[in-house]
Amino acid sequence: MSRALSSVFSNRALIAVLGAVVIFAAGAVLIPGFASLFSVRAMLILGSLLAIAALGQTLVMILGGIDLSIPFVIGFANVVFASLYGDGLPAPATFAIVLGCAALIGAASGALSAALAIHPLIVTLGIGTAVQAGVQIWTRGLPMGSAPQAINDFVSLGGSTGPLPFPPLVPFTLLLALAILFVLRRTIYGRKLYALGASPKAAELALVRPVALWATTFALSAVFAALAGILLLGFTGSSSAGVGTPYLFQTVSAVVIGGTALIGGRGGYIGTVAGAMVLVELRTVLIGLGLPEASVQAALGVLILALVAAYGRDQHIRNLI
Amino acid sequence: MLARLFAGREDTRLAALLFVVLLVLNIALNPARFAPHNWGSVLGLAAPLLLAALAVTVPFLAGRGSIDVSVGPLIGLVNVLIVKGLILGAGIQSPLLIVPAALILGLASGALNGFLTSVLRIQPIVATLGTYLIYSGLALTILPSPAGSVPDWLRALAGPWSVLPVGAAVLLWLAVRRLPYYDLLMATGSDDRAAYTAGVGVPRVRFTAYLLAGLFAGLAALSLTALIGSGDPNIGPGYTLIAIAAVALGGVSLAGGIGGLTAAFLGAADIFLLQSVLTAFNVSTFVLQMTYGIVLVLAVCLNSEKLKALIGRRRIAA
Repeated sequence: MSRALSSVFSNRALIAVLGAVVIFAAGAVLIPGFASLFSVRAMLILGSLLAIAALGQTLVMILGGIDLSIPFVIGFANVVFASLYGDGLPAPATFAIVLGCAALIGAASGALSAALAIHPLIVTLGIGTAVQAGVQIWTRGLPMGSAPQAINDFVSLGGSTGPLPFPPLVPFTLLLALAILFVLRRTIYGRKLYALGASPKAAELALVRPVALWATTFALSAVFAALAGILLLGFTGSSSAGVGTPYLFQTVSAVVIGGTALIGGRGGYIGTVAGAMVLVELRTVLIGLGLPEASVQAALGVLILALVAAYGRDQHIRNLI
Repeated sequence: MLARLFAGREDTRLAALLFVVLLVLNIALNPARFAPHNWGSVLGLAAPLLLAALAVTVPFLAGRGSIDVSVGPLIGLVNVLIVKGLILGAGIQSPLLIVPAALILGLASGALNGFLTSVLRIQPIVATLGTYLIYSGLALTILPSPAGSVPDWLRALAGPWSVLPVGAAVLLWLAVRRLPYYDLLMATGSDDRAAYTAGVGVPRVRFTAYLLAGLFAGLAALSLTALIGSGDPNIGPGYTLIAIAAVALGGVSLAGGIGGLTAAFLGAADIFLLQSVLTAFNVSTFVLQMTYGIVLVLAVCLNSEKLKALIGRRRIAA
């Protein structure tokens, strides 16, 4: 049984799942109404949105990279989807156009980083900034439009899925997590991802093509960031190019709390989902305790450091030789 | 002087070329602004970015993912603490107290970041991301909206005396370069395992790199406070990403072991002058942002060793 469990969760991911449970219990004791259906539903929706945005960050970090363009792509998808749909384009076509453009943006970042051996942090930052500015120029800084009703219902706070009291977003995220688990463990793409992340030299000798893999992975990251941006449009009701800003550091935090190492080759998506829930729960607890927004941020910083210091430490240099 | 810039490291050549082009453009477009009697205030405008770029450079030099993303919020926090804590709160006006206070706050932050990354061994981007959140949260808690004013001597640090904080940073860096520590830092950044095997105390070297980053950030905070003449919790955090972009543009390697003050300053000056050129054309901030993103990507691509190797190989084949 325990072996079966540890094959599903890598060790650190298990700690993140436990952390999410413990923090939930603590919140339920400390704050009245924390465990109410309304509050749980809100946390699950916010957690799902963060988990979807952090999916690509997880894949990219398994490769040993980092994607700072996620918030910009979220803003891009948010604004462009609303504008195109508002101009009368049918929703499925809009959806395809936005995700397609996002994939191209991501693939460009990944291919450039790998082909020219440039740190992905700089490439994604530069391309992300240019994309966001491009969107702002296109809309003249005044984004218009809104989401189709189907997307609003998909993420709505009052929604339900059949007998379940949650909007379809929550079961969708669960299915997505299972699908990614399968992709990472049972497909050639997944195994290549870990191989290249763990040892670029060995992976190249095993005929993994780094440029193709980096391009694919960064494209996936941008596609899921764009998906999160479209879903956010349904959640907030109006579009804004800056809607993704908090996701820059939140995706990195969720992935790291979930036990994926930034050096590559280790980690998984189950941990990231747990990490996203940990972050959302912590925020809710801190706000529930009556802290103002600024103090919540500072306290969140302390708690992230404490969590990572407890189980996410690096090895000493003497053990790397 | 120009000849020396070009004869220097190959990595900064592109940034130096861009610097010259942009400087000439700027002087042609706006001769009054770049006239000699205005040099002080132009340097004062550029100083926070120059010093922030130097601050993020030092951890990059130490390699293996060393990075300090907390530099921006730290600049903001020190600015807020000086204005709200010392000037408004305690009524202190003397440079003999305010300058050391800024530097000590910077060093304290450097010690905290160094402790988290080198002693606790939290991955640097996560550790400094944590302090990023803490500093920006604290700054907003202490001073929720811009307020206060600064004494005349401090205001002069953004005008006629702007050379003082920048000059102090240059002297400090030149001193560091003469110390054995500099060689240990570059050795650690180039290959930390080899350095450790050769007896270099790698964790201690990295700890000191964060200390230096904090110190330079303290100087940057003084320049920023002088420039804006008040306390503002919202300006500081923006410096992190732009400073990282600046040093990448200048040719500092994010993998460690390559770069220094010249690279950091050239990259930062390029971004400053680029903004200045575009402002002269009255373009919107969005166009400015877009140009800056494109220039950044183009510059790092052109700077890439791998690209140079590819081109070199093709030339030999032809």
